[in-house]
Parts: sequence; C-alpha cells; structure tokens
Amino acid sequence: MGPYDSSTSSSAISSSPSSSTSSSSSSSSCAGKSPDQIDGLLAGAGYRVRSSELRHVAQRLEHLETVMVNAPSQISHLGNDVVHHNPSDLGTWVDSLLSDLNPPEYSDLRYDDFGPILDPSTITRAWTEHLIPEQQRIIPQHLSVATEMEEDSSIRLVHVLMTCAECVQGGEFSLACSLIDEMQHLLTRVNVGCGIGKVAGYFVDALSRRLFTPQGVALVGSTIENEILYNHFYEASPYLKFAHFTANQAILEGFDGHDCVHVIDFNLMHGLQWPALIQALALRPGGPPVLRLTGIGPPSPDGRDSLREIGVRLTELARSVNVRFAFQGVTASRLEDVKPLMLQVDPKEAVAINSIMQLHRLLVSDPTRTSPINNVLDWIRNLNPKIMTVVEQEVDHNQPEFLARFTEALYYYSTMFDSLETCSAQFEKAFAEMYIQKEICNVVCCEGSVRVERHEPLAKWRARLNGAGFKPLHLGSNSFKQASMLLTLFSAEGYCVEENDGCLTLGWHSRPLIAASAWKAVSEPNPSLGLISHPNNVL
Amino acid sequence: MVQLLEIGLANVELNLVSDKEKRLKFCINDHMDILIEILQRLDGRSLGSAACVCRLWQHITQSDMLWEHLCFHHVSPRLPSGVRPVVAALGGYRRLYMLCLRPVLSRLGLARQLSGGGGHQEVVRRVWTRHLVELSLSLFCVDYYERLGSGGGGGGRVGDASASSLMFLCKPVNV
Repeated sequence: MGPYDSSTSSSAISSSPSSSTSSSSSSSSCAGKSPDQIDGLLAGAGYRVRSSELRHVAQRLEHLETVMVNAPSQISHLGNDVVHHNPSDLGTWVDSLLSDLNPPEYSDLRYDDFGPILDPSTITRAWTEHLIPEQQRIIPQHLSVATEMEEDSSIRLVHVLMTCAECVQGGEFSLACSLIDEMQHLLTRVNVGCGIGKVAGYFVDALSRRLFTPQGVALVGSTIENEILYNHFYEASPYLKFAHFTANQAILEGFDGHDCVHVIDFNLMHGLQWPALIQALALRPGGPPVLRLTGIGPPSPDGRDSLREIGVRLTELARSVNVRFAFQGVTASRLEDVKPLMLQVDPKEAVAINSIMQLHRLLVSDPTRTSPINNVLDWIRNLNPKIMTVVEQEVDHNQPEFLARFTEALYYYSTMFDSLETCSAQFEKAFAEMYIQKEICNVVCCEGSVRVERHEPLAKWRARLNGAGFKPLHLGSNSFKQASMLLTLFSAEGYCVEENDGCLTLGWHSRPLIAASAWKAVSEPNPSLGLISHPNNVL
Repeated sequence: MVQLLEIGLANVELNLVSDKEKRLKFCINDHMDILIEILQRLDGRSLGSAACVCRLWQHITQSDMLWEHLCFHHVSPRLPSGVRPVVAALGGYRRLYMLCLRPVLSRLGLARQLSGGGGHQEVVRRVWTRHLVELSLSLFCVDYYERLGSGGGGGGRVGDASASSLMFLCKPVNV
C-alpha cells in the first residue's frame, strides 16, 4: 500500500485532527485527504490549518516574511505588544498580522517560484516541509535575521556581478544582458534597503547604463545639483570634514611666521573649508596675517556668479573676526584650463595649494597629448608653494582593465555605503548616496575623457609627486589628534584614523577610504621665472 | 557642591528672621556681585535652571561673561586675549557652549567612559583641552558661516535654515 492509500483509509475513519495520522504518513499527502481535513504535519506542531488552505497560508507566510525583511522598523511592535488570540489558527493569525502591517502590494508574491504546478501533492509537501522551520523563524523575536534564501541570493548576486563585468570586458554583450536580467531578478529577493543589496543595486544600475546608453553619456548633473549633493555628503559623513580639518591644520602650520599668505583652492564649492582656517588664523599667536583666497570653480549655468557670492560670505566672516581678507574667483570647467597667471600670485606671499579630490581628474590619459597632470604639477611647482595639501580617495580606479576597476570599486563603495549606514538623518543619507552613485557611474560606465573619477591610492600619488619635484611634509601629531577627536564626535564607532608614514588616512573598520598628505616643492626654481608663464615649458 | 550652593541660595532668599536675635534681612538680588560670583561657579545645566528663576536672573545669566567662565575656566594655559572678540563676533559664548562645547564634552565624556577611563576624566580632559577648544571654535565658525549663508538665501541649500553641519553633534551616540 502506498502512502496515499493509508491516509485515505485513515481519513475515512476519523474526521477530526489527529496527530497519529501525521506520524504514520511521512508525506503530508494532502491529495488523498478531503479538503476540509486539518493538515496532519502542522497539527503535530500545534497549528490547525486546513489542507485546502495550506497553499494560501504558505503564500501569506512568505509574503509576511518579505514584508518583515524589507521593513523591519514597521514590525518592531510585533515583538512587544501584540496579543495573539487563538494562535493555532495559523491562517487567521498570518492574515491579521499582514493586515496590521498594511503590506504595499499583495501582487509581489513570487508566483514564478512555484514553477509549473504539476503535482499538487509534491508542491504542498515541499511547502509544508519548508513551512515549519520558516514559521518558527517568523515568530517575532529576532526580526533582523536574514533568511538563508536571502543570504544565498546576496552571494549569488555578487558572483553574477563579477561574471557580468567579465563579459563586459570581453565584449560579450548578449550574455551580459541576460546576466543583468538575472541580477534584476535576484535583486527582488534580497533586501535592497541596506547592505550588499543596496550596493549591488547601484552597480547593476551602472552596468546596465554602460550596456544600454550610448557611450560617453556620463551621469553629469548640473553644477547646482552637484553642489547640493556635495553638501549633503559633507554633512552625512566625516570624510570631507576630515579632509578639510586636516588640510587646514597643515596649512596653518605651513603659514607659521608669514604675514602675507595666499591660499589657492582647486574646488571652492561652498567654501566650507575656509571659515575654520580664517578663525584659526585670527587666533594664532602674533595675530592674523593678511589672507588672500583664490577659489577655482566651474561656471554656473544661470549666469550667477556663485564664486563671488561665496567670496562675499567669506569676506564678511573674515571681517567679523578682524582678519584682513581678499577673495578672487577663477572660473574654469576643468582644472587643466587654469593658467597660473589667472591666479595672480604675488612673489612676496606664502602660497598654499589645496586640492580636495581634484588631482585625480587630471589623470585622463590621452596618448595624443601630454597628460594634464604633469602640466599642472609643473606650474604648481613653479609657484613654489609653502605647502600643498592633497586629499584623495584611497583606491585604485585607474587601472586599464575594466574587471579590475569594477572589483575595486565594488569593495570600496561597499565599505563606504557600510559606513554611511550609521548616519541617522535619512534625508542626508539619501542625498549622500546619490553623490556616491554618481562616482560609481563614472567609474563603471564611462571611458576616455569622460571618465574623470580616476582615483589612485596613496602609494601611486607618492611616486607621482616625488617624481614631479615635491617632497612630503609630515602631518604632525596635532592633525592626528584633531582628526581623532573629530571622529569621536561622530556617532559611529567604526571609523578609524591611521597614520601612514606622515600621511593620515580615514577608514571604516581598518579599510582606509580617504588619504590626506602634504607636500612642498623640492628645489627652488629660479624666482624670476616663477610667475611668468613659460612659453618654453613644453614636455 | 552645586546642591550646596543651591541650598545656600535658597536659604539666603528665605528671609529667616529669628524673633530672638535680630538678623539683617538679606536678599541676594540686592547684591549683584555676590550673585554673579555664585552663578559663575555653576555648571551649564544649573545656569540654565537659574535663568528660569526670575527676570532679573534671566537677564544676568544671559551675560556672556558667565558663559565664558563656564566654557574656558578649566583651560590650563590661559587662552589668548584675542579669543573673546572672535567668539563674540561668531555668536557669543553662550551659543558656543550650547552648540559646540556641551555636546562635544558630553560625547567625549561618554566615549571615555565607554573606554573605561571614568575616574581619570578631569585629568584626561585637561590634556585634550587645547585640541578641544580649537576644534570647538572651528566647528563654531563653520556654524556661523552657514548661518550667514542661509540667512542670505544663497548657495542653494536644501532644507530648513537651521540645518547645519553641526547637527551631527546633536545626534545621539550610536553605542
């Protein structure tokens, strides 16, 4: 006698739930029972579910799981103050939970997971076997547990991402497209609100942009949009603050003893770095110097002179604290378009160059002409600055092969997104993520001169700057202490400041993400040639 | 010590006249210098409570000198005299305390407690003090600059004008 036969015979005998039926038949054998029969296996666990409702309950439970995983904050109350009446009636219980949570859509149940329904008994058997450990996990005590299914999907997602990147590098576009489809599907199975799901989402988006949008179309926003995103990134995370404060400390120390000083900022934005320097100069022993600030920035589209507006604000601040201050703005859409004459450097003043994540944009390698980085470093050296502060991302996104770049970017931005999770202001965090997303898109989607985010690690910058005639200045212990103190003010415990042979790096859980260093020109060039642009300085 | 001072003040305010001995009626409000001396020794929270006592006390506690004393009296090498006009220009000592020093000190105090340095708080605080002062002043200056910007409506800031880069100080520590 097969299993179905035995259950048929037993169901004929008793019409009420009996656990003996469940122990005697290993399969749920619902096909053999009458639809009103209470399912035997579940009855053994203490739940009363009708066989006819099993599939429905299974779907509802899976739906509940999706909702809980995707929005754990909504269900925290479930762990505390929900009273379940008649919990053995599993179907009603799940329904009441779901109606409490007001799930967004019933339709996002994944019917395709069930596959073609050939044999109802096998399907329901698989579900009930799956169901019992599932329902124990769903009981709301520990709501942040990722299910096994989700973990598997995440791992698979990373693998598929790598494979897809390899295909893109190899030029196999049709395979890459099908992999993208698979990843979109996988993304529905993971939690895209945080963790690997979120990062993977951005990278899948970037890959599909690379495949489907015409080459050379970068995700370039308007200047105003970029400024807004930059501001929110400044507020949401300590990276830019660390950059500003460390650079300011180095500049302050470099200007020691000088009475006429000139700071050249390669990317002014809103000038958030300079109030702190102005205040520190105001309070330095011996009184403040005469400060000039030259801010370089892109032209604003609507004709506003945004650089001048920032200059006015900074001037007002400087006047409040009694620092003699002058500002000039230099408009240039690319740093290599700036000529040293525009900066109007006076030979008697001490010059500081400040570059926060700007030098890597000059690394665009065009075989037809000399790399702009060498030109720029040359005229910087000819200005003979007392100090040049360089802050750059600590990662190698300038490798020629796409796959290597992609892999580096995946790990780097995962760490960065991880660190952003600690930001409690959702508004700031969302905009900061958009800021990072633009970087990701540039690294992944763009090639040639459009790809400006050519980050290089500190070791490479050291080699490059040493070769261009600069020598490193050690950032002192004051910078380190200030950076450490700044970090303790941030609410997350994962940030770490490290000293790396005179340079400071800020990282998340021992992965450095941003590196700050200071440099000085090595041999003094002939002062009379220093400021006149040489026509014969051709490489 | 604060409680003793508060009790002392309270006692002084109640006009305790014994019928046996003639005592002078003593009202602290008639002796502003003593009142200020006492208020100078209070901590920030008590100073805030004192501001709620009466209009006269509120007026006195708004004087920046009290808050200057609160902010920097424990700084061991005395701050240069140039600090006062700078802080005054940037918004005053009371604002500096409320916005920067108090959250910074509490965040650092908590951080130190977590790392197990509870008993050595005073000593450790003095070692960090110079950096603390400099950092607080820098953050204060950034706040002033942002207020300048939002007041002028320039720069395209999204969100309300009171949002500033110092908001991260006010957020609870995620332990």
